[in-house]
Amino acid sequence: MTKSGFIETDILVIGGGVAGLSFAIHIADLVEKHNQGLSNKLPLNVLLLEKGASLGSHSLSGAVVNPSTIKELLPEIAEKDLPFDSPVTKDEFYHLLPQHAIRMPFTPPFMGNRGNFVASIGKITRFLGEIAEKKGVQVYPGFSVDELLYENGQVVGAKTIDTGVDKHGKPMENFQPGTKVLAKLVILAEGPRGSLSTKFIRKHELVKNNPQVYSTGVKELWDVPEGTFQAGRVIHTLGFPFEFNHFGGGFIYGMNSRQVAVGIAAALDYKDPTFNPHAAFQLYKKHPFVAKILEKGRILKYGAKTIPEGGFYSLPQLYHDHVMIVGDSAGFLSMPSLKGIHLAIESGMLAAQTAFEALQKNDFSKGQLQSYEDRYQKSSGYKNLYRVRNFRAGFQYGMILGAFHFAWQIVTGGRGIAPSGKMRLHEDASCYQKLPDVKNPFLTKFKKELNFDKKLTFDKVTDVFYSGSKHDEEQPCHCRVLDFDLCRDICIPKYGGPCQHFCPAEVYEIVTDPKTGKKDLHLHPANCVHCKTCDINDPFGNIEWAVPYGGDGPEYENL
Amino acid sequence: MGLKIISLMKQVPLPTEMRMGADGLMDRTKAKSIINNDCSFGLEQGLQIKKYVPDVELIVVSMGPPSFEQSMKKALAMGYDRAILLSDRKLGGSDTFATGYAISSLIKKLGFDKSGKNPFIIFSGRQTTDGDTAHVPSQTAENLGIPQATFVEKVEFQSDHLKVRRIIEGGYQVLRLPIPCLISIAPTATPARRPSLEGAIRARNTKMEVWTLDQTGADASVVGLNGSPTLVSKVVDIQKDRPPVNMITGPTNKDLAEGLVAEIEKIKDQIAGGHTQVLTKDEKQEVAEAKTDSGFPKVDFRQGAYGVMTWVEMHGQKPSRSSLEILSQARKLADQLSTKVISIMVGHNIKSVAQEIIAYGADEAVVVDDPRLKEYTTLPTAAAIGQYIEKNRPEIALFGATTSGRELAPRLASRVRAGVTADCTSLEVGEYVHRMKKTVFYPVLQSIRPTYGESKLATIIGFWCPQMATARPGTFKIPKRDSNRKGTVTEFKPVFKDSDFVVEVVETKREEGGADNLFVADIVISGGRPAGEHDDLKLIKELTQALQDQGINADWGASRHAVDNGYAPYGRQVGQTGKTIRPKVYVAVAISGAIQHLAGMKESGKIIAINQDPQAPIFRHADFGIVRDYQEVLPELIGKVKAGFTFGLNPSK
Repeated sequence: MTKSGFIETDILVIGGGVAGLSFAIHIADLVEKHNQGLSNKLPLNVLLLEKGASLGSHSLSGAVVNPSTIKELLPEIAEKDLPFDSPVTKDEFYHLLPQHAIRMPFTPPFMGNRGNFVASIGKITRFLGEIAEKKGVQVYPGFSVDELLYENGQVVGAKTIDTGVDKHGKPMENFQPGTKVLAKLVILAEGPRGSLSTKFIRKHELVKNNPQVYSTGVKELWDVPEGTFQAGRVIHTLGFPFEFNHFGGGFIYGMNSRQVAVGIAAALDYKDPTFNPHAAFQLYKKHPFVAKILEKGRILKYGAKTIPEGGFYSLPQLYHDHVMIVGDSAGFLSMPSLKGIHLAIESGMLAAQTAFEALQKNDFSKGQLQSYEDRYQKSSGYKNLYRVRNFRAGFQYGMILGAFHFAWQIVTGGRGIAPSGKMRLHEDASCYQKLPDVKNPFLTKFKKELNFDKKLTFDKVTDVFYSGSKHDEEQPCHCRVLDFDLCRDICIPKYGGPCQHFCPAEVYEIVTDPKTGKKDLHLHPANCVHCKTCDINDPFGNIEWAVPYGGDGPEYENL
Repeated sequence: MGLKIISLMKQVPLPTEMRMGADGLMDRTKAKSIINNDCSFGLEQGLQIKKYVPDVELIVVSMGPPSFEQSMKKALAMGYDRAILLSDRKLGGSDTFATGYAISSLIKKLGFDKSGKNPFIIFSGRQTTDGDTAHVPSQTAENLGIPQATFVEKVEFQSDHLKVRRIIEGGYQVLRLPIPCLISIAPTATPARRPSLEGAIRARNTKMEVWTLDQTGADASVVGLNGSPTLVSKVVDIQKDRPPVNMITGPTNKDLAEGLVAEIEKIKDQIAGGHTQVLTKDEKQEVAEAKTDSGFPKVDFRQGAYGVMTWVEMHGQKPSRSSLEILSQARKLADQLSTKVISIMVGHNIKSVAQEIIAYGADEAVVVDDPRLKEYTTLPTAAAIGQYIEKNRPEIALFGATTSGRELAPRLASRVRAGVTADCTSLEVGEYVHRMKKTVFYPVLQSIRPTYGESKLATIIGFWCPQMATARPGTFKIPKRDSNRKGTVTEFKPVFKDSDFVVEVVETKREEGGADNLFVADIVISGGRPAGEHDDLKLIKELTQALQDQGINADWGASRHAVDNGYAPYGRQVGQTGKTIRPKVYVAVAISGAIQHLAGMKESGKIIAINQDPQAPIFRHADFGIVRDYQEVLPELIGKVKAGFTFGLNPSK
């Protein structure tokens, strides 16, 4: 610590998820190994900050985990001691018609789960957190970082958010200025659509090929009677409630202690502005095939999070002067299996190896950090991503065309129909049709179905209750609408205000004045579950998601 | 030596996780814990002093098990310099009397005493969520012999003294206190800041100091279960009897009004029948209480103590409402014990009130009159009543649980070595079977009070006289006035010291005129800030007037926000910092239902909420809900009232 308001460290990790913690654990191991027998030891100054109240409180994933990389990260830990829930025992794949489920005779390529484990990412995160702390990493949950610090155009650290600020941004009596952390190296590990990472990638023009595209995952954890759904049983579904032109699917994972994880992932490049991922998930649960599993159970938890699924060609340049990007913030996710945890761990480890070298040379320039990408290109994750590099792009016009693309890609070793071997992707938010042009919009089509019985199906607000989300009311709105006139005058007339539909937590509400009939946008930022869909999917890019005070947000525990 | 701030802090279980051990005491081992809400306001107030005195040293002090470290570290992270925990098994089971003694022993040992040689200010929260007594601050101040101000929501530091704004019934009071002093902070003050990262890192590297009881030099026989003058004899669960809200729906405003009228019509008898019993007792757990046929000998522990004393809180020349309310309980207890009711009043030019108190049921009115006692302050009042108690030894002493009563009673209890029970809703004479001592204590004052966030009803007893209790305002009915009642009026002349008058009352603002009817009105219609903004509460007042025209005892109130914004006088504020009322029908109009407001009305008979926002918390505490702009619904309702609808109420005679 130098003077008041500042602290110094060598490496600052922003985000205490799987990627950030894997980085921290691995660099601690590398330094420890290096120091053995040396008198002139390399100091380990790694500070990790997490915005959630505790590690894992904002972590959400399916999850079926490929255990390969966590074993590499923690070679000293036996497989049986890893924080998995249950090995995958049954791997089934269904196509859902509105009332029926058709079992597919085989699991599509790259989607098999043999040797994988059903797990709670919250548990994995807490497990990694304890190990990181034991290895000497300074871990501080409950602190939001809202600004990267620059000096002469280069990142020199980051600053935690000022607190005790009123809704209008005015400091109040209990104002507490944020702390500036000066660091030689900053690791951006904020998860999908990280608020600093997104800005950083834009500022330094790090997008290489395609923009990142996303799905929104909506998930509930249920407690079901003993014997209803066996631990380790894994079901993936396609079809209902998605239109054939909409990329999306559902999952049902059996866990120990009678728990079942159920959810959907809905791609955000849909055209219908009334599509509603939360409502689609309620419809999914009402499908007889799913309802049968849940009907005697009860909900435990709810959550939502975006999934970066652009894949290979959507990965940005992963480094810059004094900065590396890891995990979901970079977009390390393997399609079509929709798995990112093992790649997040791997990217953290590769970045740690790079950082270790940089630390030894005391050189954190981009020239030095470039080896992060070289390492990545030699990794197993790279091969994995490369083979399915055009998978997601093939599905941007829907499931049927996508299936053709995918088949052709398999035959061509991933190239598919693109002569260059590289298919283009469009920004999700650019895909909307104008509301009047949409035939049979989601909202009209399912109008009768969208009543919630509060047993099997829930309205958004009730689900938000189950997310455990809390926010200090006295702070500037962290779901920032940049131009309200644009909402009122253009977005609502043209698209009907898609934010009210895509937000799975009812942060955005379009209110009609009963007297004038005028529509306006009302915000309920305290409902936010930090999924970032709004930052991605506003048709005009008119919403900017920023971090609220540290410790605010959902309490996912074991989602 | 520079100024030091000592903040008293307690770690409490999350309200949702409170459970009790078999002994009727809080089981703190399993619950997730946080800094007690009010204490966080106290901690913040300490940090605010840094703005005036940048080099002030901030010390957080607590008493409890080592697991309190988590909250102590948080205080350090907020900006405190030292954390000292008094932790000793001998302290287990301490009541507030013992706690105040133990904490003050620690503070003295740290070198802080009333001499002021080492200047210091003690901040604390108003009360804790798991005890709800508000006693410890007063009892700590008494043990240290320093002046105090409780229920404070604003503090100004002025070089050698503090100017504070303290909540009183129906208003506030500005006090000037010398340093050293103790200030307890209400949760309407500045909310606690978030810890900074820098602070969190510093906290991780700062060691919490743990003290044992012996290190403080305290007398071990005065703490713990055995040293405590009160004990919990029984705890039962309270179940809320209010069913989920019945939402009135319909396409038009007329439908809504008619829907409400129809629903009210269905339960008309229930409403008119009087105050609905909202609290029901679930006799789930009985601790240490047994039946009368234990065969043990009966023991009278009073040793000649005689009489039920009440304190008459004076608002200038008028007795406070709560002082009259406790007379009904004093009378009942005195009759059962065949003793007399003695009411003591402290003030100036108040002799005429003595007769009035006798008319309300006192047998003897004791008057302490001194020009310096024009306004209530703690120290001289405690000195006067303390001397009276020591001389006359009443067996029971009752106080209204107003902000003044709730600081005076515990301070007195520490002074005369007695036990005190806070905020009682029921007072009975009973017996207590002491199995270990193989005796039955009789007669014992059973002070019954809601606790643990109103989820339990605890019976507290003690064997030290006087058995003291404060009674929750609005719970007991004022006895019938009988101007023919005879009683004696005596004067009592205590010996005051100059140090009893170090606290100066700068200003008292109390607005009660007319608004006292809120306590007895059958129906109260309250408006929130939006209702003030739109039409200055005009529709609220119109509805009230329409009901009054029908002969109904109706009145109107307002939320804190509406009052703060000047739409209604303070005397009409319903809520924690305003009036606590329980009319037969309460109509909340454009009120969101903050905890602060709920505290003042949640025990009303039937609650009707009208709010635009379907998610407003008020709906979770209402019997009937209407989701609509009040400006549309109220005119319809006013029309219904004019046509004879009275919310199920009968005209008052």
